[in-house]
Amino acid sequence: MPAVEGAAHVELTGLHKAFGATTAVADFSLSVPRGSFTTLLGPSGCGKTTVLRIVAGFVEPDAGSVVIAGVDQVGRPPNLRGVGLVFQDYALFPHMNVRANVGYGLRMRRMGKAERVERVQRALELLGLDALGRRFPHELSGGQQQRVALGRVIVLEPEVLLMDEPLSNLDAKLRLRLRAELKELQRQLGITTIYVTHDQEEALSLSDQVVVMDHGRGQQVGAPEAVYQRPTNRFVAEFVGQANLLPVQAVSTTTNGSVTATAVGQPLVVCLPDERQPATGSAGLAMVRPEHVLVGPADTFAAPGAWQVKAKVVSSGFYGAFQRYWLALEGVPEPWLVDLPLDLAEYVASGSTAPTWQPGAAVAVGLRPGGACWLW
Amino acid sequence: MGLRSFGRLWRFDRGLLLAYGLVALFLLTFVVGPLVRVALEPTLADWRLVMTTPRWQRAALNTLITLSLSTVSSLLLGTVYAYAVTRARVPGARFFGVVPLFLLLTPPFVAGLAFILLLGRRGLLTYQLLGLETSIYGLHGLWLAQTLSFFPVAYLVLRSAFLAVDPGLEQAARGLGAGRGQVLRTVTLPLVTPGLLAAALFISIGVLGDFGNPMLVGGRFQVLATAVYTQLTGWASFGTSAALGLVLLVPAVVLFGAQQWVQAATRQRFATVGGRSSSLPAPTVAPWLRWALFTVCLLVTLFVAASQGVVLMGALTKLWGVDFTPTFEHAKYVLGHVGGLGNSLRFAATAALVCTVLSLLAAYLVQRAKVPLRRGLDLATLLPAAIPGTLMGVAFVLAFNTPPFQLTGTAAIIVIGMAVSYLPVGYRICAAAIDQLRPSLDESAANLGASRLRALTSIVAPLVRQALVATFVFCFVQSVGTLSTVIFLVSFDTPLASVTILNLADQGRWGRAAALASALIIVTMLSLALLYLITGRSLKQLEFSRAGG
Repeated sequence: MPAVEGAAHVELTGLHKAFGATTAVADFSLSVPRGSFTTLLGPSGCGKTTVLRIVAGFVEPDAGSVVIAGVDQVGRPPNLRGVGLVFQDYALFPHMNVRANVGYGLRMRRMGKAERVERVQRALELLGLDALGRRFPHELSGGQQQRVALGRVIVLEPEVLLMDEPLSNLDAKLRLRLRAELKELQRQLGITTIYVTHDQEEALSLSDQVVVMDHGRGQQVGAPEAVYQRPTNRFVAEFVGQANLLPVQAVSTTTNGSVTATAVGQPLVVCLPDERQPATGSAGLAMVRPEHVLVGPADTFAAPGAWQVKAKVVSSGFYGAFQRYWLALEGVPEPWLVDLPLDLAEYVASGSTAPTWQPGAAVAVGLRPGGACWLW
Repeated sequence: MGLRSFGRLWRFDRGLLLAYGLVALFLLTFVVGPLVRVALEPTLADWRLVMTTPRWQRAALNTLITLSLSTVSSLLLGTVYAYAVTRARVPGARFFGVVPLFLLLTPPFVAGLAFILLLGRRGLLTYQLLGLETSIYGLHGLWLAQTLSFFPVAYLVLRSAFLAVDPGLEQAARGLGAGRGQVLRTVTLPLVTPGLLAAALFISIGVLGDFGNPMLVGGRFQVLATAVYTQLTGWASFGTSAALGLVLLVPAVVLFGAQQWVQAATRQRFATVGGRSSSLPAPTVAPWLRWALFTVCLLVTLFVAASQGVVLMGALTKLWGVDFTPTFEHAKYVLGHVGGLGNSLRFAATAALVCTVLSLLAAYLVQRAKVPLRRGLDLATLLPAAIPGTLMGVAFVLAFNTPPFQLTGTAAIIVIGMAVSYLPVGYRICAAAIDQLRPSLDESAANLGASRLRALTSIVAPLVRQALVATFVFCFVQSVGTLSTVIFLVSFDTPLASVTILNLADQGRWGRAAALASALIIVTMLSLALLYLITGRSLKQLEFSRAGG
């Protein structure tokens, strides 16, 4: 596990913010360890950007506190907070070249020219921008602009680095490359980072800690693996990845964090996401990730005694890396989604790959051990 | 909430608080204060006198008549002209598009002066060429002169309104089976309605406060603006002149309120819904209409050219209407009286500078800085737009001719009077430009450690420099030619060219008046050319000077 342990560097407690009748952030608390990479993940309008803007000082919370390195920041104007914010649209100053943009914050701090030039130079080298110092923002590519926006902030060595969807304006390929660079840079500088995104893949691959938000509230805080494999509720399950839903009924709890339940009339071990235990006999919903679903021919499939239900293929589609199937499971109200690899040998032989199952085909569906997870 | 915000500003952003205090103090002292002062001046007896004297009842009626006639005709001409240039694409549209701007750059009373020279008792056209013994003086002359003076305002507003109408909407209406006339009636005109209302307000306030044209060509047809002036300067009767000025305020406030109300009510409906506007050309207009519009443009242009030409001619003619011998006599007179000319330029430039700085500060404070009481600041800045210049002049005289603010007759009060008059327009220009800036730009400046005031000076101001230049130019040009406010404020020590021209014309010294007017136009144009030369260069320098890192 990366550096999640250690002293809390940023401590948000009981944040609340309403804009008129709409509540943007409600009872939001978060502890960000020093040097960690924490991501606020959620759909648009979930309040993640508002939390970031509260930390940066652009929004004053109605209630709650923002403590950075032990100092309460509420009531302090943005320019005295020592937090660096990378804006979604970069907000580069169009009338200044790259050097002037990167040096702007140092100038505001009235740093002497010699030292300023040197620090700007170092920042430019760190980001691979040293050849572009005299260019103006409109003469840069999207990726370069993004780097200038980052360099402009880290040259100030801020207490905390805040990033508001910094990669969302870039094309998919560049986004992947910059994502890797960003992670490497953050690790290298060891700077405490709070990152906002609606892209679950970005959140999972970058973060030490992910905070899933909805309707202004934190839904789950945890390591990326935990948020993905053991989501606490249906919203998190569906937002962080593809989720197949399975109605279950608790039978008896076990000590190792799981519950024995019945699903479609068969016994099934369902993992629990946290300390909470469902009451015996209570009905609930379990989640299964597509990659934890096993699909086989209708008759000869699962091991004797293993959980297995009959299903019908509703439709399927070619997605490049895999074939996606929508399956209607007997006794399960919502269709499931399963991705299966294609047969390369068949493609090599015949030049085309037919899906393994056509719509209407009868199949059987099983689960990998630990594949079902209880949703609260 | 308000007090706490002030406390925060005091603790963290004293520069901004200082700027705020400065703007607020200026507005209180030079806008709100004088208005309160003038409102309290007339006694009950003054009011009774004003209400019952037939002469002034007549003046009030006359004001209403010119207000309706001139506003409608200017609006109509401006709209037709703007439609011709932007939508009908008449031949030479680019050239015709510049003509009204040229008219805006010349003092408004030049139209009145030109009218006398062209159409007056000894007018070139009427008397010399046609041998008519007509008189231009009176309602018809005033109406014509005001139409020519104020139609450029309507043109400017409507031009941008027409350009903002997505041609795709007109094409869509055509596609849905509407005829050309129906498109105009059902799509184009409804969409420019907010522009029409805004232009109507600007023009009517202008007509209400117009002083030069009634003075020059009104003849015995007296309006309130001139009545206020004669009461104050001729009879030194503060009470009645204040009361007469306040009567002017009634239609102004009604119009201002109506415009605000209609604008609020229609904002939603006229906001163009949906994404990007199309790059389609507008549908063509019928050929007969195109040529009719072309004729209108041509006639207006010829008239503008004739009016400017005749003033220049008048400047070089011995005695207009009697002896047309060419002479430099009047030009020599102008050279001997450069003081007024110099004052006009100096005061106007200073006023433009003050107006630009205040406009930028007020716009930034209201739009971005989230200062307390910003709604009040917004209203106070816009207030002069609803005040006819004549009333403003009386208010200034009343407020500043006794200690502690004994400023009457000083250069300072003239400069401030000019700056206040054009503050609402400058404020609107700057506010619109700041509104176009992404909020993240000054937020990121703050995030990088800039105080709000430094964010304003280092980021916002350079990025809206075009709006600043526009504000400066507008205020400068208007101030050079203004009469209505400053005519109450000039003194023997602070003559202004515009006032001198009016007095010369009033005395029938057409040659001298025309010569001074020509000189004023030429010098104004030269200063503008110089300004563009300087700002064009310095704006580039600004960009490079910041390149040092």
